[in-house]
Amino acid sequence: MTGQLTQAPAPAPATPARRPWWRALGNLDRRFLPVLGTLLTLALMLGVGQSRYSTSRSDFISMKLFSNLMVDNSYLLVLAVGMTFVILTGGIDLSVGAVVALVGLAVARLFQVGLPLPVVLVVGVLIGTVCGLLIGVLVQVFDIQPFIASLAVMFLARGLANVVSTNSLAIKDEGFASLASWSITFGEGRSLWRINASMLIAVAVLLVAVYLLHYTRFGRSVYGLGSSDRGVAVSLMGLRPARTRIWVYVISGTCAGIAGILFALYTKSGYNLTGIGMELDAIAAVVIGGTLLSGGVGFVLGTGAGVLVYGLIQVLIAREGLDSWWTRVFIGAVLLAFVILQRVIVTRRR
Amino acid sequence: MSTPTATPPPTRGLSVQALRRVTDHGIFWPVVALLVLLLACGLKSPGFLDVTLRDGHLFGQLIDLLRNSATPLLLALGMCLVIATGGIDLSVGAVMAIALAVSLTYLDGSPDPGSAATVAVAVALGLVVGVVVGAFNGFMVAALGIQPFIATMILMVAGRGIAMLITQGQITTVTSPPFKSIGSGFVLGVPTPVVIAAVVFVLVTLLVRRTALGMFLESIGINGEASRLAGVRARTTTWSVYVIAGVLAALAGLVYGAPTMAADANNIGLLKELDAIMVVVLGGTKLDGGRFNLGGLIAGALLLSTLERAVIIFELPSQTTPLFKAVVLIAVCVAASPFLRSRLDARRLRAAQPRPVEVVR
Repeated sequence: MTGQLTQAPAPAPATPARRPWWRALGNLDRRFLPVLGTLLTLALMLGVGQSRYSTSRSDFISMKLFSNLMVDNSYLLVLAVGMTFVILTGGIDLSVGAVVALVGLAVARLFQVGLPLPVVLVVGVLIGTVCGLLIGVLVQVFDIQPFIASLAVMFLARGLANVVSTNSLAIKDEGFASLASWSITFGEGRSLWRINASMLIAVAVLLVAVYLLHYTRFGRSVYGLGSSDRGVAVSLMGLRPARTRIWVYVISGTCAGIAGILFALYTKSGYNLTGIGMELDAIAAVVIGGTLLSGGVGFVLGTGAGVLVYGLIQVLIAREGLDSWWTRVFIGAVLLAFVILQRVIVTRRR
Repeated sequence: MSTPTATPPPTRGLSVQALRRVTDHGIFWPVVALLVLLLACGLKSPGFLDVTLRDGHLFGQLIDLLRNSATPLLLALGMCLVIATGGIDLSVGAVMAIALAVSLTYLDGSPDPGSAATVAVAVALGLVVGVVVGAFNGFMVAALGIQPFIATMILMVAGRGIAMLITQGQITTVTSPPFKSIGSGFVLGVPTPVVIAAVVFVLVTLLVRRTALGMFLESIGINGEASRLAGVRARTTTWSVYVIAGVLAALAGLVYGAPTMAADANNIGLLKELDAIMVVVLGGTKLDGGRFNLGGLIAGALLLSTLERAVIIFELPSQTTPLFKAVVLIAVCVAASPFLRSRLDARRLRAAQPRPVEVVR
């Protein structure tokens, strides 16, 4: 990947045999350090959970835990993956939470009208795509800051959601219900775990994102745009900064559309107040996953780990029997720790 | 907003130039939007523009508008200074909730919530919350050098949880007439929030325009490192700006929550940070930092609350307000965008082509 070319070779130590093991970390590409921090946090939390909540009959760390984490957070994973693209270019997308609410309500309303399942799903995702395209055009063509452009689209989506309905709309379509309840189960009794449709979709989105970001010209452009030179390097390389900048918002919007459908599958309804603050959850997951908010540095797989940390915080809070508002305090604390960690890494790199 | 274009259109008389200078001013489109909205409301509901004097107090829809503009204006004042340094403060909504929670919890626990002294202490405690939170944000930004967006997002995420801890998950309600009057009382016939907002506005304006602080803020926003080398105490200045923003947010929380006297940690100030940023943008300040326009904030805050009121006057469901906020925000930003302006300039240039161009600067 890109940074390895610029990495200076480590000076040969005088006495290699005496080198303490942690010095080996110095040879590690510094770009991996934030992600390493995420994985360590994940391990730490799993360790705490294992030691506190394991019983003689079942372990805390189990396939069941991971399958539940994925089921509960698949929509967040999809959102965070889309957000990773935007943040890597140095932008931000505040609209995703509102888009999730809009898509959920639109899907519910379209089923009421009587449209068939595939049409509804496609239209739902396309609503997100259009929202993303709007942000992209505002940002690229009209030169409006991403923060303001996505804020405007957030208000737009929230307002439209309220136009569709201010009440919760239940989704009663049979095809949708069977899609929501479809799953492959493994094991029995206490060790039962399952794979459902949302999980598969979320993982598929993650894999596509890994391919796009790390193995294509487009991915190279995304990282290049985030290098804080207003896309000069990207255009010098013969890549297309303008098109790429629009595309990342389209991707983020599309992911928000998919997440809206996953969330509708999860709750089997649409409601206009869903997703308030969900964009922050997504941004927090991306940051915890080791992506720098200034752009240019990060891995989409790190985002996956960030979402797991996020979900695990909620599990631990629930297991500990603390009130739900502690979740937000803890997430703030973890965020703080990661931000400071990132800061230290960036400072030492200079 | 008066950046000279690369190819200035040929001179075409003073009036055109004067007009262009007016339309180029950042505050032009927001004021136009405000006037159009007020006019539309006046036509739709004839009594809208009336202001009456009852029992020595001013009443009327316009007065309500002013009262509703107080909170966004207070928030936007702090936000504008932060944005001038190239930063952003996302925590203001959460700060509103924490400050109100602390004040009301103190009042709730005090033996005599009605006495002026108790209320003064409660208000002071609320403002101290603002100082502490602002100092934390400032420390993160100025001392640790963390991006403002993420530094203040930490409290945006955690703040509401902290407020819930203070109120122990309950909606704390108290009765204290002096405290209530902060939000719903009158001073010399004018609603108290309006007076508070006006006083704070004048103080902040004097602070940044009569001292060198305003210039320091702009220089930090343009190039923090260069201004530090030039001898501006960039760290201290940035830090104090976040403290100011925190205190103003706390004050806004007290003013906003005082009429109901209920500390609802989940809902007080929800998404207000975004409203405040919208007011700043509507007021003609760009988010890049380095340049700001305090007068525009008044237009922005009035536009925001007029918009909210207009939705009700036109008998639209109040939940559709965000839709209209979006339309206004997009319209104002697009109208002021360089893309549109360069298109217009190009057209003007073409229209003027046959005429002999005398002097090109």
